[in-house]
Formats: sequence, C-alpha cells, structure tokens
Amino acid sequence: MKKYYWVVIAIVAGFLSNPVLTKAQDASKEASVKVSGEVATSLELKLADLQQFQQADVTRKDRDGKDHVYSGVVLADILQKAGATMGKDLRGENLTKYILVEASDGYQVIFALAELDKGFTDRTIILASRVDGKPLPDGDGPFRIIVQDEKKPARCIKQVTGIKVLFAK
Amino acid sequence: MNPDFSKIKRKSAVVLLLSMVIFTLSGWAFIKSDMETGPYKFIYPANFGNRINVPDDNPSTKEGVYLGRMLFYEKSLSANNTISCANCHQQARAFTDGRSFSTGVDNVPTSRNSMSLTNLLWTRKFFWDGRAGSLEEQAAFPLTNPHEMGQSLDVSANKLAESSVYHQLFKIVYGDEAITGDRIVKAITQFERTLISCNSHYDQYLRNTYQPTPQELKGLALFMNAPQPQTGIRGANCAHCHGGVKNYMELFHNNGLDSIPKDAGIETLTGLSSDRGRFKAPTLRNIALTAPYMHDGRFKTLAEVVDHYSDHVEESASLSSFIRGVSNETGGRSLNLRPDEKKELIAFLNMLTDSTFITDPRFSDPHLLPVQKFKQSSK
Ligand code: HEC
Ligand code: HEC
Repeated sequence: MKKYYWVVIAIVAGFLSNPVLTKAQDASKEASVKVSGEVATSLELKLADLQQFQQADVTRKDRDGKDHVYSGVVLADILQKAGATMGKDLRGENLTKYILVEASDGYQVIFALAELDKGFTDRTIILASRVDGKPLPDGDGPFRIIVQDEKKPARCIKQVTGIKVLFAK
Repeated sequence: MNPDFSKIKRKSAVVLLLSMVIFTLSGWAFIKSDMETGPYKFIYPANFGNRINVPDDNPSTKEGVYLGRMLFYEKSLSANNTISCANCHQQARAFTDGRSFSTGVDNVPTSRNSMSLTNLLWTRKFFWDGRAGSLEEQAAFPLTNPHEMGQSLDVSANKLAESSVYHQLFKIVYGDEAITGDRIVKAITQFERTLISCNSHYDQYLRNTYQPTPQELKGLALFMNAPQPQTGIRGANCAHCHGGVKNYMELFHNNGLDSIPKDAGIETLTGLSSDRGRFKAPTLRNIALTAPYMHDGRFKTLAEVVDHYSDHVEESASLSSFIRGVSNETGGRSLNLRPDEKKELIAFLNMLTDSTFITDPRFSDPHLLPVQKFKQSSK
C-alpha cells in the first residue's frame, strides 16, 4: 500500500514538473515588464521575479469607489535593482530623469524619478500584481502601477509592459 | 552673297540660339516655379500639440512632398501598372476605399480593411496591429506585398528610371538623379505627413466658430462621458479610446466584436493571450466617409457600429476593461443606449467630417494636372 502511495506521488510530481505539459496547459507566452533606458542592467520581470523583492501594500479606491489593498513591489526598489540613479545618486542632472511607463494598449504615463524616491517623498508607488490577495483581473493585470493617494486614477496604468528611464531632452 | 542678308542670317541664328536656351531654361524653370522648393512647414492648430513624428533622416521639403504626391498616385509602382496607393486610399473617402477588403495586383483580398490616412504626422504605430514603427517602414509593405502593389523596390526604381520626369524630380529633391527604393519610400512618406485634417465642425466648435445643434451637443456629451448609473449620468465612454482633439489616441484594444476572433490581431505578434482580438482604435476623424467599419469591415453603417457598443459587446478574457461592464444600467454588460441617444451619438460622429480635407487640391492626383503640362514642356 505504502509503495503505491510513493509511486503515485512520483508520477504526479513528474507531470507537474514536466515543462512540456505545463506549457501545453498555457500555450500563450507569459507577460513581463521590461525595465530599460538609463539603467546599468536592463531587466525583464515576470510574475515570479517580483517575489524576489520586498513586498509592499498600497490601499486606494477603484472605479467602484471602494478601498482595495494592492500588493506588489515599490517601483524605486525595481529601479534600484536595475541600477538607475536613485537614492544618493539622485541629484544634479539626474533630477531631469523620468520614467516612461507603457501599457500593452499603448497608453503611456510618466513619473519624474524624484517622485519615486524615498528621500523625496513618503508616497508609495508600487508595481502591483495582486488586489485584495488575488491576482489582478483580466484587463488590469498581470501588472499595474498603483499610486498612493493620487486623486485621479489616470496614472494607475494597467497592463504595464515596459518602464523606460529617460533624460528629459 | 549679300552682306546684309548674311547679317540678318547671323542675327536670326543668334535669336534662334537664344530662344532655344530660353526654351530649355523655361522647361527647367517650369518645374521650379510649379514646385516651390525649400523646407516644408507643417501648419496645424496649436491644440494638436507638437509631438510630431518626423525622422531626422527624412526631413520634409516642398519638392520632396511634391515627388511623394506623384509617387502616391503612380501606378507604375505596381507589378501590373494598374494600382497606386490611391486605389485603396482615395481622397474623397478620407483615403479609404469603401470596401471591406481591398484588392491589389493579384485580385486576392487583403486580410484587413484599408485605413484612413489622416494626421499621420502624429502617429507612431502604423497598421491595425501597430506593427510598423514609422511611415517609412510602413510604406515598403504595400509596395512589395503580393496582394497589394506586388513589386520589389528595385524594380520600381528601375521602372521610374525610364521616365525623364522622375530623373529631374529626384535630382531636385535629392541632389542627384539616382532613383532608389529608399528614396521612393522617403518621398511618399513626406507627402503622407502633409495629410493634415483640422477643419471639421468639431474643430470649428473647439475654435468657437461653429455652434453645434442641440442633438450634436447631446451626442458630444455622450461621447465624452463615462456612464454612471448610480448618479444617473448617461454616457457612451467613446472618448476613453477615441478622445482628444485629433479624435485619435493611438490605443490598441479588444472592443468586443467576437468572443473567439477569427483574426487574433496583436496576439499574432506578441503571443500573449491578453492581446487576442486587439486592434488599433483608429481615428474617428472623417468617420462618416470611411465605411465599412472595423478591421474586417463588418459594419456597413455608423448605426451598426453604435448598436454594437450599445447592445452586442461580446465577452472574452481579452475584452478591454474600459468596455467590460461599462453600462448605463447597473449590472449591464454593454452601454444600453436609448434610440434617441444613438441618433445623438451619430450626429456627433458626423461633426468629425472635414470636407476641406477631402477636396484639398494639394492632396489630389498631380498626374491629372500640372505634370501633363510639365511633361509636354520637357519634351
Ligand atoms: C491593395 C490595397 C492597398 C494599397 C495599394 C495600399 N494600401 Fe495602405 N493599407 C491597406 C490596408 C488593407 C491597410 C491595413 C493593413 C493592415 O493593418 O494590415 C493599409 C494601411 C496603411 C497605412 C497605415 C495607417 C495607420 O493609421 O496605421 C498607411 C500609412 C498606408 N496604408 C499607406 C499606404 C501607402 C503609402 C501606399 C502606397 C505605397 C499604400 N498604403 C497602398 C491597403 C492598401
Ligand atoms: C476600449 C476602447 C474603445 C472604446 C471605449 C470605444 N472604442 Fe471604438 N474602437 C476601438 C477599437 C479597438 C476599434 C477597432 C476594432 C477592430 O477593428 O477590431 C474601434 C473601432 C471603432 C470604429 C470603426 C473605425 C474604423 O475606421 O473602422 C468606430 C466608428 C468606433 N470605434 C466608434 C466608437 C464609438 C462611437 C464609441 C463609443 C460608443 C467607441 N468606439 C468606444 C476601441 C474603442
């Protein structure tokens, strides 16, 4: 009896870890966010990669007028990881840098680097992947910027695909 | 021989020579006077903004725009000398062709509906799926696609090289007579960038020179507002994707035409299921002139389009979140507009027609007018 038990576990584990089978379940490619531009190393972050950062929550209202808890990673941490000029390096001409965030529908918004840096503001801006403990719904996710306390939701850009660090020309 | 006579002869020889010189010069001068040269200045209203898209290696000149216009209407750029860009992009229809799918040199229908060419100066992503990043990249496609004009750029260059007219034009535009695919493409795009439409009743309303009818004003409000069933504000939310003074925002969405689309749209490029059935939200400028509608030309009238958004949105995982559940009724799945509201919305859409754009002589076929004169004088 015990022997069979282990055989079953081995087979199930084999199925689960088989990349061909798991791929077949989801023939589509996995969405990601590319971090590029004025950075030391470009990044391409998938959902699992966000887990390697410290997690943060931001509460804000959605279209339904109710408060929701969004969870994800502080944008500044991601930019730091990519080697953008944050923290002590955010001075002089680097203060003319901004990020251009682009969504899969082509929508774009910008944030000045100084708007994102803890040395300048306590307002938290995150790249969220969950809302109220669940993945973001279709059409909003898998990645969405959530700006704490901003009155209009227009910069809480949905379906983020890219973050480019740029100099204002 | 009478000396006087020889004098006369010599005199007349000089006159003849001079008149020949003048004649050849005048042929030359004709091109020059017919076609002003120098940088092309784009003229457009300040509210259109200056986020224009002109590559550094292809600045627009007056002579380049003229050459581009000649080429836009040039049938010898197609494999069987019958198709020019203007076959599928006709000025009277705001540069569309009135067909669901167009046919090119091989009579095989194109896979998507022809698109209106207007205010491309501000556009950054071209085609229904946004796959081309510049007009230059875009133009090479119809020129060489076997279902459109079906001829390699090299063959096109060689064919143009048989015409003395084009030799002279390329020389004026580029400094030497070399005719290349790259130069053909660049000139065409210079012309396309001049196709600026900014004189619809809506533009005039924004300039305070047109007073809309009450029906148009109600349509405008519906177009701009998001519906709020809780507060009773009625809306159609169109401006979320088709808003702005240019009636174009360069967004790409699934607007609920099918739950399982035949044409997967942007998903074909990215492999992402969230891009399934996603296409460019095209300009609504001159929309009353550009039927049939959508990437596959499925709707023949604006009434059918409005019925779609009001009553027939199809659910799917990739349906835009700006359409899903946006309704004038609590819990509604689509807008649920009343019949009078549909008429108001259509009245507003008709305000976007710019009749000066479709009759502007600067955008018409130049082969019908001065070039014939020019051809005669150069022969
Ligand atoms: C046989 C018909 C046909 C011909 C000829 C043709 N086009 Fe098109 N054009 C189309 C169709 C169809 C599309 C949309 C195709 C798609 O999205 O895949 C299109 C799209 C375009 C677009 C994109 C507009 C936008 O807003 O994204 C431009 C620009 C354009 N054409 C320019 C040209 C030029 C320049 C020529 C001549 C060199 C030309 N076309 C010849 C049918 C044609
Ligand atoms: C979520 C974004 C979105 C909203 C909101 C939206 N549209 Fe669209 N619209 C699109 C997209 C995307 C297309 C092209 C779809 C296709 O061809 O597959 C389109 C196509 C159209 C077309 C056809 C254009 C052409 O050249 O064929 C018309 C007309 C139109 N929309 C009108 C409206 C009106 C009126 C409203 C408001 C009731 C509206 N749209 C709301 C995204 C949107």
